[in-house]
Amino acid sequence: MEILALQDICFSYGKVPVLKDVTYRFETGKMYCIIGRSGAGKTTLLSLLSGLASPNSGSILYDGKDIAKQDKYAFRSKYIGVIFQSFNLITKFTAVENVMLSMDISGIKGVNKRQKAMELLAGVGLDEDEANRRVLKLSGGQQQRVAIARALSYDPQIILADEPTGNLDGETQKEIMDIFRSLTEQGKCVILVSHSPEVAAVCDERYELKKLSGKNNPKGRAVG
Amino acid sequence: MYIIKNALKCIGRSKGRNILIGIIALVIAVSACIGLSIRQAAESTKNSTLEGMSVTATISFDRQAMMQEMRQPSDGAVTDGQESGTQDRAFDREQFRDKMNGGTSLTLDEYQTYASAKSVQDFYYTLTAYFNGSDKLEPVSSESESEAASEPSADAPENGMDFGRDKGNRMGKMASGDFTVIGYSGDNAMTEFQSGTMSVSDGAVFSEGTAERQCLISEELAAYNNLAVGDKITLTNPDSETETYTLTVSGIYKNTEANELSVPMFGVGQDPANRIYMSAAALQGVLDDSTSVSKTVTDETTGQESETAINGSLSATYVFADADAYHRFEEEVRALGLDDSYTVSSADLTAFENSLTPLNTLSTMAGWFLLVILLIGAVILIVLNIFNIRERKYEIGVLTAMGMKKGKVALQFLTEILVVTMAAIIIGAGIGAVSAVPVTNALLEGQVESQQSSQMQMENNFGRGGNFKGGMQNIQPNGQNAAPDNISDGGGHGGFAAFGQNVSNYITEVNSAMNLTVLLQLLGIGILLTLAAGAVSVLFVMRYDPLKILANRD
Ligand SMILES: Nc1ncnc2c1ncn2[C@@H]1O[C@H](COP(=O)(O)OP(=O)(O)OP(=O)(O)O)[C@@H](O)[C@H]1O
Ligand SMILES: [Mg+2]
Repeated sequence: MEILALQDICFSYGKVPVLKDVTYRFETGKMYCIIGRSGAGKTTLLSLLSGLASPNSGSILYDGKDIAKQDKYAFRSKYIGVIFQSFNLITKFTAVENVMLSMDISGIKGVNKRQKAMELLAGVGLDEDEANRRVLKLSGGQQQRVAIARALSYDPQIILADEPTGNLDGETQKEIMDIFRSLTEQGKCVILVSHSPEVAAVCDERYELKKLSGKNNPKGRAVG
Repeated sequence: MYIIKNALKCIGRSKGRNILIGIIALVIAVSACIGLSIRQAAESTKNSTLEGMSVTATISFDRQAMMQEMRQPSDGAVTDGQESGTQDRAFDREQFRDKMNGGTSLTLDEYQTYASAKSVQDFYYTLTAYFNGSDKLEPVSSESESEAASEPSADAPENGMDFGRDKGNRMGKMASGDFTVIGYSGDNAMTEFQSGTMSVSDGAVFSEGTAERQCLISEELAAYNNLAVGDKITLTNPDSETETYTLTVSGIYKNTEANELSVPMFGVGQDPANRIYMSAAALQGVLDDSTSVSKTVTDETTGQESETAINGSLSATYVFADADAYHRFEEEVRALGLDDSYTVSSADLTAFENSLTPLNTLSTMAGWFLLVILLIGAVILIVLNIFNIRERKYEIGVLTAMGMKKGKVALQFLTEILVVTMAAIIIGAGIGAVSAVPVTNALLEGQVESQQSSQMQMENNFGRGGNFKGGMQNIQPNGQNAAPDNISDGGGHGGFAAFGQNVSNYITEVNSAMNLTVLLQLLGIGILLTLAAGAVSVLFVMRYDPLKILANRD
């Protein structure tokens, strides 16, 4: 079932065009990988998908409806979980506080938030001591895993992850990918950005973004 | 509400910054608390004293007002005023003298009419007349007799202390004598005896309202003339030596204030020892007798004609339950027909207001101080908050990227600053509550001192006490009735004995400065400052775009 779609998206930062006529479709229960050279506009694409940026033309449909006409804050806090390339954690809060905060913002009720947050953090391989440590005092890989746990905390339909395994060793990367896989089995839609061929290999579908250079440039197209 | 939880967590996680903001808010809070307390103290001291104070007032003739009125061109002359204006406006001395001599004092009937005003709680009057002694009754005098008895007010200076001078205008001659005889309408008129300034040491006060010619004399006078209770004294009409009146001494009084009196004497009649008190009804009887035997005499040098009849001057005092009633009184008497050339004034209210001068000055200063503190405080808090917000830009970006609405983010920031300032205000109120009273009193002391020294300076310059604003309670300078009233009220100090006999009866101390009003005002200030600083937060939060913040992170 199609849950998210990009329809003839054009986007530029000021006069610098980054995306042109991009049309992608994402379905539930599938894992997608967006690949492309550095600076091709992958992060930009995720920003558009999460409603942080608005396209110059074209539309982004969530469940068939244009997100431009919806409450983007509710969309971000409830239906979509984003793992940012630079994590974007509140550094003065502990790992568990970061996770609980996103649950608070999403407004979910009826769960023991601390307990759920601890479970999620344990799931991404953080022990209790690390979970209660300020984010500032965690390693890059640990911070990345906090960001993953945070994105999962409120059970969003869609997970966007920008280089989610970039700072992780092979073993941990595999564990994280297993988590994503199990999410697709639960019927969620996972959209990853990765330079890693291994990550790309385990995804159901891949989209490649080409860097725009000058006027005649190839459209974003599906590759496999 | 997670926003509050989050706000508290954020305060805890950046202690340094919040302590800095807190300290500044604390300084503002303590200063504001003291400033507000001073203002409150001034207000409540005034109100509480006014509440318990019964106010007395007199109606007096306003010579100035009449002169002003006379200066207005009459209706007929107005038609083409410009050219003839100066001519018409020339002061008509003849008319002025006529008016003054035509009787400016109110009659007892008129006084009593005004006493029917609703606001009046009590009414009494005194009748004052001047007599000479006789062979057996000599006035107490430290000067040699010949000097003392003659020309009593010839060299009275032209200042505010013109006892009995206006009275002369009415009759075209000076009423004066060795003795001042004061008749009281009733016991309530005998304020000095009520306040304890004077007390009967032998015998008793004549019965209230009696027409019998009984009187009270001073201990000094009794000793000077070997008089005792039951003795008879004889008074003479100063203008007719053959006209004598006999009074029975019913009591002898002691004047505790007499010796302190430093006002220069314009004649022995002004000496408190030479005052004789009796019932107004009895004194009126004497004056009636004097009128019935009156003759017309012609002054040899000036050729002016005058009557020998002794004239009494009437002084009426209205008592009110409170200051409000006094303020209503003026309107009521105007409605009852009191002419505009008469003014209603209250010596005790004026004295009370004067006593508040240092406190009011302090209160005004505190108000300005408060304003400056608040302005500076607000600016500092706003600037600090701008820095704070800019520093936390990234955090705002993360929160909004997570889907937290900007309004909520702003609310969280507002809560943070509110909590910090409120904590500072609570501590500040505590410090203020402890220190407000001593600080207020210390400042007040300084204020009183400077007021007194400037008054003293003036007195030095004048060589005597004068009618200075804020200092001595003085004799009302304008009008006929004021003078005798003040004599009967204990000379020079008015009826304001309740505030002490001190020359400068300033309020020098307050006791309760901090109260709920101050606390609420302080809270209001806190909220106002928070909102000012918070408005900046809101502005910044609303302006920020999460994508941009997160993209250009340092
Ligand atoms: N805030 C911005 N303002 C202007 N240009 C930007 C901004 N963010 C990104 N760009 C430009 O847009 C292009 C796409 O950037 P983007 O971050 O989407 O690349 P990316 O594909 O995610 O690269 P990487 O693999 O290195 O993360 C780049 O050329 C970048 O310089
Ligand atoms: Mg990127």
